[in-house]
Amino acid sequence: MDIGTALAFSAPIAVGIAALGSGIGLGRAVGGAMEAIGRQPEASGKIQTNMIIGAALIEALTIYALVVFFIVQGRIQ
Amino acid sequence: MKVWESLALQATTQTGGHGAAEGASGGAPELPNFITLLYHKFGDTAWAAFLHHWENIIFSVIIALSLSLLFYLGSRKREPVPSGLQNFLELVVDSLRNFLVGVLGHGGEKYVPFLGTLFIYILFMNLFGLIPAMKSPSSSINITAALAMCVFVTVQYLNIRNMGLFGFIYHMAGSPKTVIGWAVAPLMLPVELITQFARPLTLALRLFGNIMGEDILIAAFAVLGITILSAVKSPVGIPLQVPFMFLAMLTSLLQALVFTLLSAVYILLAVPHAEEKH
Repeated sequence: MDIGTALAFSAPIAVGIAALGSGIGLGRAVGGAMEAIGRQPEASGKIQTNMIIGAALIEALTIYALVVFFIVQGRIQ
Repeated sequence: MKVWESLALQATTQTGGHGAAEGASGGAPELPNFITLLYHKFGDTAWAAFLHHWENIIFSVIIALSLSLLFYLGSRKREPVPSGLQNFLELVVDSLRNFLVGVLGHGGEKYVPFLGTLFIYILFMNLFGLIPAMKSPSSSINITAALAMCVFVTVQYLNIRNMGLFGFIYHMAGSPKTVIGWAVAPLMLPVELITQFARPLTLALRLFGNIMGEDILIAAFAVLGITILSAVKSPVGIPLQVPFMFLAMLTSLLQALVFTLLSAVYILLAVPHAEEKH
């Protein structure tokens, strides 16, 4: 197996694993935020703002994997 | 029919030649915009090559100029009881101001122009790719990196102005006061330095990755819709990309919001009265 084939196999898997982790993290974060809004609807604005910040930081990890994918994409035959 | 087929062909084959020059956009499909169309028609002339080379800059300048014109027209005759365009612009500015002051506190009033401009500019850059024959300039890493550099320089300027250079270094070392604090300071300093430099990197890459991802998704489904019907020689393709365009509208708004919100948080962490809370 040459490097191009190996990358063609592993790069999408890497993005998938990163997305899996982010998905779990996002699910927990958003779930927690929804629960908090349900308990205290008057604080929903603040909770939402902080939730979006957290979601963005979690999502960045998947974006890193995507960027790595685009970096190695040129070497996939 | 010829037009659609050539568009599909162009979208699939376009990225080969100049892909390397643009960095990360390897073999992904890209919808044609008016500059690439001009480039394919007049590819051998100097001005077409020039336009093609500065494609993202040209689109972002177009957006900046049209936004300036819009806001100039809206605020030209300022009336006490606004109506029409002025009313709408005041609504936009006021809600942005309320939102940012809610995040930054009352000392953050003076950062509202910078952050609000950032939000409106990024939102329009993201949405611009949904207009036919146009392209999102924020799907290029150079544009988003420039925006992130603006935020980075602002934050570091505020840090150094508020704490002084050595105060800032002391703060980055974790503000050591006890022996244990001084002992872990050599560990804290590099970690904090990496954090500072990772912020603009993540800001730029997040916006770039999301917008480019959504553009590639739309282009891929547009190409799919055309290639499905190309077997029966249909003049138009199935507009398979339309649901993803609505999704793209949502992510455009969300990414502009996220960029502004994170910039606001970084600025908040750099102004002194916020330090007491955290």
